[in-house]
Amino acid sequence: MKGVIFNLLEEAVIREHGLSAWTGLLGMTGLEGAWSSLGSYPDAEIIALVDAASVALGVPPQQVLQWFGRSAIPLLAKRYEAFFTPHASARHFLLGVNQIIHPEVRKLYAGSACPRFHFHDLDDGRLCVAYRSPRKLCHLAHGFIAGAADHYGETIEIDHLSCMLDGLPTCRIALQWMN
Amino acid sequence: MKYDPIPLPAEDLQRIEDLERMLERERKAREQAEAIAERGLRELYDSQVRLALLQRITDHANRSNNFAEVVDAALKEICGHMDWDFGNAYRIDRELDAAIACDTWYAIDSDQLFALIERSRHATFNRGNGLPGRVLRDAHPHWIDDFGTDTCYVHRAEAITCNMASACAFPILLGEELVGVIEFFSRKPMVDKDAILLTITQAVTQLARVVERERASAALLHDALHDAMTGLPNRVLLDERSRLAFERLPMGREGLAVMVIDLDGFKGINDKHGHHAGDMVLVEVASRFKSTITTFQRGETEGDGPITFAPWHATLARVGGDEFVVVLDALPDQTIVTDLAHRMIAALKPTIRIENEQVSVGASIGIAHSGSDYVDVEQIRRDADLAMYEAKSSGHGGVIVFSEALGCEARNRMALERELRDAIRDRQFVLHYQPIFSLDKSQRLRGFEALIRWNHPTRGMIDPGTFIPAAEESGLIVFIGDWVLRQGCTAMARLHERLANRYSREDLPFVSINIAPQQFLQPNFAAHVQRVLIETGVPPECLRLEVTEGVAIIDSERTRQVLEEIRAWGVRTSLDDFGTGYSSLSYLQNLPFDTLKIDRSFISSMDDPKSRKIIRAIMDLAGNLNLSVVAEGIETPEQGNALIEMGCEYGQGFHLGRPLDEASAFALIPFDEAA
Ligand code: HEM
Repeated sequence: MKGVIFNLLEEAVIREHGLSAWTGLLGMTGLEGAWSSLGSYPDAEIIALVDAASVALGVPPQQVLQWFGRSAIPLLAKRYEAFFTPHASARHFLLGVNQIIHPEVRKLYAGSACPRFHFHDLDDGRLCVAYRSPRKLCHLAHGFIAGAADHYGETIEIDHLSCMLDGLPTCRIALQWMN
Repeated sequence: MKYDPIPLPAEDLQRIEDLERMLERERKAREQAEAIAERGLRELYDSQVRLALLQRITDHANRSNNFAEVVDAALKEICGHMDWDFGNAYRIDRELDAAIACDTWYAIDSDQLFALIERSRHATFNRGNGLPGRVLRDAHPHWIDDFGTDTCYVHRAEAITCNMASACAFPILLGEELVGVIEFFSRKPMVDKDAILLTITQAVTQLARVVERERASAALLHDALHDAMTGLPNRVLLDERSRLAFERLPMGREGLAVMVIDLDGFKGINDKHGHHAGDMVLVEVASRFKSTITTFQRGETEGDGPITFAPWHATLARVGGDEFVVVLDALPDQTIVTDLAHRMIAALKPTIRIENEQVSVGASIGIAHSGSDYVDVEQIRRDADLAMYEAKSSGHGGVIVFSEALGCEARNRMALERELRDAIRDRQFVLHYQPIFSLDKSQRLRGFEALIRWNHPTRGMIDPGTFIPAAEESGLIVFIGDWVLRQGCTAMARLHERLANRYSREDLPFVSINIAPQQFLQPNFAAHVQRVLIETGVPPECLRLEVTEGVAIIDSERTRQVLEEIRAWGVRTSLDDFGTGYSSLSYLQNLPFDTLKIDRSFISSMDDPKSRKIIRAIMDLAGNLNLSVVAEGIETPEQGNALIEMGCEYGQGFHLGRPLDEASAFALIPFDEAA
């Protein structure tokens, strides 16, 4: 996992829970806590941080990931303004993740393993986002989507239709715009 | 996760605050450093991708010499790289001053872009029109940022229909020269123009290299197919074109003609003025032929009427030293070819100026027309060749159209020529000897005329009349003549050996040998005679060389020089067949002869008083010029007596002695004759 993800997590945790919460997490996991956005670090380290937060907060790790994704979006918008301004809506922004956002991320960080999403309309009019990754970080995606909705001043109802965490081959997330 | 702050002393709080500020500064510095590194990484990535793209385009360019092929690949690569929707290529037509699409394009989705593709792939843009036309005018890139607002674009409607938002076009420059344009369309705005320019400019350099190589190979091909000196098609290209033209012939195979042209007098110019002069003549002749053909093809347009081109085509080629060929096809009528041939000959009439001299050449032209009898164009060409030789052998050029009769005759002559070659190789010739007598009372045998016979393996003994003309035409006469000279002298040497002790040198019989004009005018003829004399040991005064007026007509000055040279050694010379032909007195006066031979035709008609008068006149002339006279073809005692009465010194003929083989002829010499 790219160091930038650790930086975002650090920033989000400190912003919301204070510096000592972050040092606490580091203490719990025994991680050194020196990540550069340019470096790549073991996936296990981010998992360990999420798990530690889950224990400290008493919430499931999925909820931590969702919270993290949602909180990361404003930070991303600050860092990578150019990825947000061309889009007028969350839908447009999300649809651009495969074509523009993640490909651009790959340019910045050689070797990054950004996922590809598959978008299609469901019969009931909802937008389905299909995701498949060995990291099984669909709840991070969930959080990013919620964050995008916040960013563009929209409300999206997010529903996990199927999940790799349940042993299924793909995660399918249905999005329903409420306004 | 809220912790209650533990109260701390003020100085510690101050210190913590300082440290936190320092940490914040450190973090900012790190983030800035990361941002700088990220920008660098991104640029590195972009340039790597661009270099990889250029590398792929360069690879394509290195692999192929075909512009269309490489452009095709490049358009695909560039569209892929830039995420553009449509790329199209144009070549520049210098004459039309326009950019012409070469049906080389790439579209991500050709279905959706159908309207635009169809409008573009064969499009022509004049200078200043549309994007390609603007590039042609300015030789720098042009952009359309928004089809909605930029109304100049010619195919704007199609571009909008296909949802195109922007377009750009780039010049393909080979040095200063604009050789092509590539044009791209995108449904998105083209924002980063600097990056685009950087990439495309480099890609286009590779395309220009292909054009350069394409031109170089075209030039090589041109060189391989054209004569370097005159710039005309060469034999290879001619063969190819005539083969194609033949294949295109309709049923009945009419409408094609081959014209073979051989220059007359060209060799002389080459010999006299050198190769450089010869080359200049060829270049001039080629250009006269070329313009004659185009003028003729254009027809005599009357007044200011529109120029109409004839429906037929002609390929003029130089196929050998001074040989040209014209292949004409789609001919509506055969007379065109003969007409053209005469015009080409007429075009050579004005003298050609080389350096400070005026020279002139003529042409012998043979023509053959296609027809159902021909199975390939080579046959037509061979027949045109035959007709050309026929024209050439007439001696003064002209045009001859091949006919079946001519073909027959020529084939016979060629067969005879082949046999003559065999005869020379297999030594099938023999010499017969006809005695020549003094016509005085002594009636002494003075010498022999050597006469060639062909001992043909199947047809038996053949007289010279049947084969000498063919030998002369084919040039084989030179070889045959040399053989006769050497053989005659060798035989005479044998005879002289037998007579050695009984005859004084001045009484030894002579041998008289006919020399053909071509043989006589060989540059080394005199030297050859001398060699034969030395090698055989025949005394020079026992050799008589008989030439006809023909040699003097061809080159009288040279004839005089050669005659003088061989006479200086003691060889005798005689003018054969006197009284026929021109019988120009000036030849007699200027050329050093010892003897005149009165033509047999006067002897055989001696009953006619007119002939007698001529004979007498000739003898008077000979007397005045101090020449001895030999009468040929004496067939009756009456003729012999009459000639004796007229004071003729020597005679030969059936009445006196027939031509015999060596042994029989030489047996006529009285063995015991006292000197
Ligand atoms: C400005 C926008 C975004 C940026 C800069 C960004 C950047 C990244 C980066 C750097 C990674 C780490 C990849 C690695 O370390 O190999 C990542 C992973 C990921 N991103 Fe994004 N991302 C953005 C938007 C989004 C959005 C909108 C979604 C969801 C729809 C999303 C879903 C994910 C997921 C699920 C992963 C986890 C990797 C995996 O599943 O294998 N990202 N992204």
